[in-house]
Amino acid sequence: MADDFRRVAGIIVRAPLTRRTVRELLYCGFGGIAGVAGFWITIVMLAFGLTISVSVLGTVIGLLLLTLALRLSRRLGALHRRLASWLLRYRVDAPPKFVPGTGILGRLDKRLRDRAAWRAVSYSLVKLPVAAVQLYTAATACIGLVDITYPVDWLIFRHHPGGPVRPMVAVNPVPFGGNFMIYSWPGTFLVAVVGAACLLAATWLARAINAGDRRLVRALLGPSSMAERVSELERTRTLAVEDSAAALRRVERDLHDGAQMRLAALAMNLGMAREKLDDDDDATVRELIDAAQRNAMNALADLRDLARGIHPPALDNGLPSALATLAASSAIPASVTADIGTRPAPAIETIAYFCAAELIANATKHSYANQITINIHTERSGVLRLEVTDDGIGGADAAHGSGLTGLTQRVSTVDGRMTVSSPPGGPTTVTVELPLKA
Amino acid sequence: MRVVIAEDAALLREGLTRLLQDRGHSVCAAVTDGDALLTAVAEHQPDVAVVDIRMPPTHTDEGLRAALAMRKAYPGTGVLMFSQYIETSYSAQLLEGGAAGVGYLLKDRVANVAEFAAALERVAGGGTALDPEVVSQLFRASRQRGGLATLTPRERQVLALMAEGRSNSAIATELVVSGGAVEKHVASIFTKLGLPPDESDNRRVLAVLHYLGSPA
Repeated sequence: MADDFRRVAGIIVRAPLTRRTVRELLYCGFGGIAGVAGFWITIVMLAFGLTISVSVLGTVIGLLLLTLALRLSRRLGALHRRLASWLLRYRVDAPPKFVPGTGILGRLDKRLRDRAAWRAVSYSLVKLPVAAVQLYTAATACIGLVDITYPVDWLIFRHHPGGPVRPMVAVNPVPFGGNFMIYSWPGTFLVAVVGAACLLAATWLARAINAGDRRLVRALLGPSSMAERVSELERTRTLAVEDSAAALRRVERDLHDGAQMRLAALAMNLGMAREKLDDDDDATVRELIDAAQRNAMNALADLRDLARGIHPPALDNGLPSALATLAASSAIPASVTADIGTRPAPAIETIAYFCAAELIANATKHSYANQITINIHTERSGVLRLEVTDDGIGGADAAHGSGLTGLTQRVSTVDGRMTVSSPPGGPTTVTVELPLKA
Repeated sequence: MRVVIAEDAALLREGLTRLLQDRGHSVCAAVTDGDALLTAVAEHQPDVAVVDIRMPPTHTDEGLRAALAMRKAYPGTGVLMFSQYIETSYSAQLLEGGAAGVGYLLKDRVANVAEFAAALERVAGGGTALDPEVVSQLFRASRQRGGLATLTPRERQVLALMAEGRSNSAIATELVVSGGAVEKHVASIFTKLGLPPDESDNRRVLAVLHYLGSPA
């Protein structure tokens, strides 16, 4: 019991001497100043913006001021996050980046609905009382530091033996009772004790108020919990999509280097065995070998189709090459134009390839078309666009064709989009838009 | 016939070596990747190289790239590409510099040993050996370019076999018709494709190139 007490007391008393305390007190100082400044800037801009925008003439300027205040709040939020990370070692992820809208009104609308910015505004407002306590804490620590040096000051700077007694003014950290005067060297020790007490108090006050500030930073300057969850889900989904693409490619490679190679070797050996048989050898043996060879060849053909369905090997050389082979094996004449800038991720290439394959198969089955054109290109905005057009009878419906519905689902696994234009009488154009990265 | 083999699967590499040696050809080298192929060709100056398309290190098309480099450096050496897949873009790249001394076969074709050896000999002699699959893909691809539309189905068949690199008598055997009938079809093809009478070999190559859609 006594040991516990001594241990706790030791921690309390030694705390002011730790690095952490220095950082916490610095945070009180810098964070407090930033907090007070941020509060006034924010409140002035908001107040002006709101009042002006209510009046008819000032709406434009008022709204501009409002959006400016919101942008600034995001910046202030970033500053507070950085301070917390630097001095408190408390890291909070930034909220999702602002996505600007299109057009003047769209931009304005997006800005005014920027939840992260409004949360940063609320932090700036709530921060004022917190900042006041932080600044008071920092001041107390400074007073403590000054007070604790009094006995030394007295001897070195103030009073040399034989000189006149000049009283020293000791600053009182408590906001009442006023400052007090010291007239003798032993008296300065009293001040030093008060200074030590100030440091001790400031240490623990800083910890308490900063703990509260941490919670505010987390709640108001971090990503909101739903946004956090969504970005986490997006990340894991990307991993899953890429993983499955890589796994399929591996399966195809294993087939190629394993079963397909062995079957080809088997067919070759059977062929060599067949060569060795003379015409006067047993006809049944020849027939058996022929049958075995036919089976091996059929198995090879089956495996080739299977492997193509898993991962078309030409995809390794990029979409244009793979699509050229796809078009060349189409029953309806098909032409390909391709303009690929940045090469998309493998998972995206696979999805685009299978979309094209399915769309060509659909056109072959239902459209009565004479010609299919396939166009694939990347756009500067980071979109891969696949367009498959046929000059057939039209009337394709994404809602009621199991093939097209399946494609829509496949495309949506990476936030892609598929649009179908197919008026009765044709032509049918299906456009698939995919991001370059899964 | 002196042959270099480039194939990364040991089973096929040894099988091919044995198959060719059994038929009295000499296999100067059997290597496992594209760089080794170029070195071996430089060293042995073979009549023909059998090249797998997918080889280490990337397992995509290094065989094709090595073969293209080889055709540039040693135009007299035949190249027979050998793959599990027929890719249109590969065929197009391979045939870009003309169809003489070029072959592209599915690995399955090795099952018919006699035909495979004959194809390899054709390529070594400056002829062509294309897999029926290559031919049908290229035919579909060139279908839209017209010109060929006027051919009768029988003439198209003959032209397809010519593209595979067969001689008139081989075509006659394949289609079970007389040699004279084949010659008549061939003459008709030349007329329809607008190829004037010339040295017949030249016209034959031109017809095939036209058929394959090469700019000749």
